Amino acid sequence: MSAPDENNKSSHTQLASHFFSELLDSVIMDVASESHRIARLGLDRNLDDEEEELRLSAQARARLADPSNSEANSKYVVDIFGQTHPPVASEIFDCMNCGRSIVAGRFAPHLEKCMGKGRKARVKATRSSTAAAQNRIGRNTIKHRRIRRH
Amino acid sequence: MRASIKRPPTPDAEDEDQDREPTLPEIINIKLIESGEKERLKELLRERLIECGWKDEMKSLCRSFTRKKGRSNVTVDDLVHLITPKGRAAVPDSVKAELLQRIRSFLQSAAL
Repeated sequence: MSAPDENNKSSHTQLASHFFSELLDSVIMDVASESHRIARLGLDRNLDDEEEELRLSAQARARLADPSNSEANSKYVVDIFGQTHPPVASEIFDCMNCGRSIVAGRFAPHLEKCMGKGRKARVKATRSSTAAAQNRIGRNTIKHRRIRRH
Repeated sequence: MRASIKRPPTPDAEDEDQDREPTLPEIINIKLIESGEKERLKELLRERLIECGWKDEMKSLCRSFTRKKGRSNVTVDDLVHLITPKGRAAVPDSVKAELLQRIRSFLQSAAL
């Protein structure tokens, strides 16, 4: 009984190896064919360029992170047209809300105050603290009611 | 290899001394294909070889070979000869074991 089983096993192993090799060679053939196509069509050109770009952007990031660079360069950054810009926008124009002459670089903080006029600035803080207090009171009342029912 | 494209003459019925009985591997191959198992096994193998980075390795070898030999000079044959020995050696043992196990199960279930 055991002898034919052993024969079976070893022939199974052999056959399995044979078919595995066949499958593997088939996959290898597919990969070679795919790579050949990519090579002939120049599709890997982008890959090389991408690798190059990744390297360059990593380099650029490293340069930015380097503290010795930032102070000197940030005020004189050059854009793609070769123009440099001063750090604070210095143009002066009239605010459309209140009509005053405002420096562009100070316009945003000006608007914050300017558009809140008619009430005090920072009304939001008051509202939220009142709301929190009312919530607390409301919750206690509900608890009371529940207790009375029982 | 013949230079002519003419087909060789069909063997006559006299050529009976040729073994017409399909061999065991041939029988199994037919069963594998007909049941769809061969396709599934190949897909499994492909998937595992991608997961473990084997395919990337092979493609990288092909790219560096292409750079050296020149894009227009590379043939499929070149690449096959390049990656076959390395490809066979680079298959992870776990992947090989998994596939062999699947194939053996099939052989057992096919009652051979």
